[in-house]
Amino acid sequence: MTPIPIIVDCDPGIDDTIALLTAFVSPELDILGITPVCGNQPLERTVRNALQVCELGRRTEIPVYAGCFRPMFREPIYGQFHGQTGLGNTVLPDPVKAVEKKSAVDFLIDTLIAAAALRKRITICCLGPMTNVAVALRMSPQIAEGIERIVMMGGAYREPGNRTMTAEFNVLADPHAAHVVFSSGIPIVALALDATHQVMLKPEHVAQFSSVSGRISETLAKLMAFWDRNDVRRYGSRGGPLHDPLVIAYLLAPHLFKTERARVFVEHESELCMGQTVADWYGKSGLEPNADIVIRVDAEGVIAFFLERLSRYAEKAVA
Amino acid sequence: MSRTRIIIDADPGVDDAAAILMALASPEIDVLGLSIVAGNVPLKDTVTNACKIVGVSGRIDVPVYAGAAGPLVRDQVFGKYARIGAFSDELVARSSIVPSDAHAVQFIARSAREAAEAGDPITICAMGPMTNIALALIQHPDVARGIRRIVSMGGAFTALGHRTPWAEFNIYADPHAAEIVYRSGVPIVVMPLDMTFQALFTAQHFESFRDRGGRAGGALYNLFSAFDRSDIERFGRLGGPIHDATTIAWLIKPELFTSLRATVGTQVTGLTLGYTYADFYQKMDRVPNATVVTDVDEAGFINLLIERISLYGSVAPGPKLPGG
Repeated sequence: MTPIPIIVDCDPGIDDTIALLTAFVSPELDILGITPVCGNQPLERTVRNALQVCELGRRTEIPVYAGCFRPMFREPIYGQFHGQTGLGNTVLPDPVKAVEKKSAVDFLIDTLIAAAALRKRITICCLGPMTNVAVALRMSPQIAEGIERIVMMGGAYREPGNRTMTAEFNVLADPHAAHVVFSSGIPIVALALDATHQVMLKPEHVAQFSSVSGRISETLAKLMAFWDRNDVRRYGSRGGPLHDPLVIAYLLAPHLFKTERARVFVEHESELCMGQTVADWYGKSGLEPNADIVIRVDAEGVIAFFLERLSRYAEKAVA
Repeated sequence: MSRTRIIIDADPGVDDAAAILMALASPEIDVLGLSIVAGNVPLKDTVTNACKIVGVSGRIDVPVYAGAAGPLVRDQVFGKYARIGAFSDELVARSSIVPSDAHAVQFIARSAREAAEAGDPITICAMGPMTNIALALIQHPDVARGIRRIVSMGGAFTALGHRTPWAEFNIYADPHAAEIVYRSGVPIVVMPLDMTFQALFTAQHFESFRDRGGRAGGALYNLFSAFDRSDIERFGRLGGPIHDATTIAWLIKPELFTSLRATVGTQVTGLTLGYTYADFYQKMDRVPNATVVTDVDEAGFINLLIERISLYGSVAPGPKLPGG
């Protein structure tokens, strides 16, 4: 089977790192590039972290392109759960790998226009604010023809927000970009807090992951331990929601997810509700659905999926 | 004297045509390229028009780059004179010029970053919605560092709007882009309707373009004759403004203009979307981000534009163009 060509647009980030490490050992995916953006951390940091994670995963041949250094319109905000560096307490060696000269936006435009011409459409995995994709779309709208679909982590529908009462971080960090993407007509699969809060990475899981993941086990255990929100009132248990990795799991094991189609609108004008994602579940807007929103996740199945994938780092053959 | 290196970001457009031809004829100015945006008319037509203008100027060394086809966030609107569309061959001769391969946003970003590195920032004259400039600014901090100033035709303060009761078209068409530019830290010079309405061009001036300005002057005469911009009810006398040309005139002869420092911004939502405010009296307690040009020496500006267009009739013409 031909691997699925993907571009990982991200802002690493602890959960981005777990997503990338999973994608790295998945031969079903052909990772054409990684495009870090300003998000959980300032751009300089997300780029550095992406380079380090490529080295950790021994996938240094994957090019990393620096994305936009700020959101489309609003002032930048940064994540709260990723520590000083974006990788918790984990200290990785200074990267030897260098970022590409070409910008992420130019890479997206060139690659997607070529993909459209070859009719080999690319899946974009959006794990952070969607500034890069939105800017590329505004510069060259024809790139939509080269995109198979966008599988994105972001938003909160029936679930309340995680950064404000109504907004999830990735959408809040660039609501105008999210508005551009959701208005583009490109097929979208949305992994919002509604989905990600169903998959808690609990302390007992962390122990399991560190026991199977071979040469990355120490790093992984540290990253995952830092991820514990320790907020039973909100999440029903210890642990942290496995936000970004679900995008990779969805691509590789869609049977673990149940979706519902809806029209999604992004609030980008209100102070109070800035970044809120609103789903028209019952056809009130008179507009066609533009997204498949994940409403149910087989949490056990997903944890088992990640255990199996990350155990590949214990095999000699990896990379 | 070193020439001022500029990028013209425009959406031609009739008054853009006058401004571009003025710049291309002016020895004080080195036009690095035209970055074209959708605005008055759709992108396809603004690009065609830009190529035709460069064609009649004879300056085929000046590259034209196609840019954004629509605004950053809001729904697209076109100009009051959208029926202009692409200039017909009767008005402006067909041109063999085609846009360069690079995107206008890449051109702006690359030029500005190189200028930042060289320590010699460039000037941008913005004559349309500022979508291209905003898209470049979002991508890298060196873009702002490589821009000496942005001379922006746009906005209206006491004059009120011309596209909506409150809003001037360029800002109304992409208020988010305007606000990104205003907040970018790049020094801004604002040419608002308040000032551009003070200099009115009449048939007699257009005849001067035609009689003295060679092919370029003839094309301008055709355009201004075909699309009458006068509004006697509003202006109280004959004639119409050539808004965009004030950006070039300000670079060449700033002494023709009077200005005030102010904090400038715009509304990006709601009924007053595209409304621009200027804090002339420091009520906001902010360091001003803009020089707002409030008055123009009408005769001085009109004479300067006619003088520069006349250069197309007096100097050796540019290289002959096929079909020109």
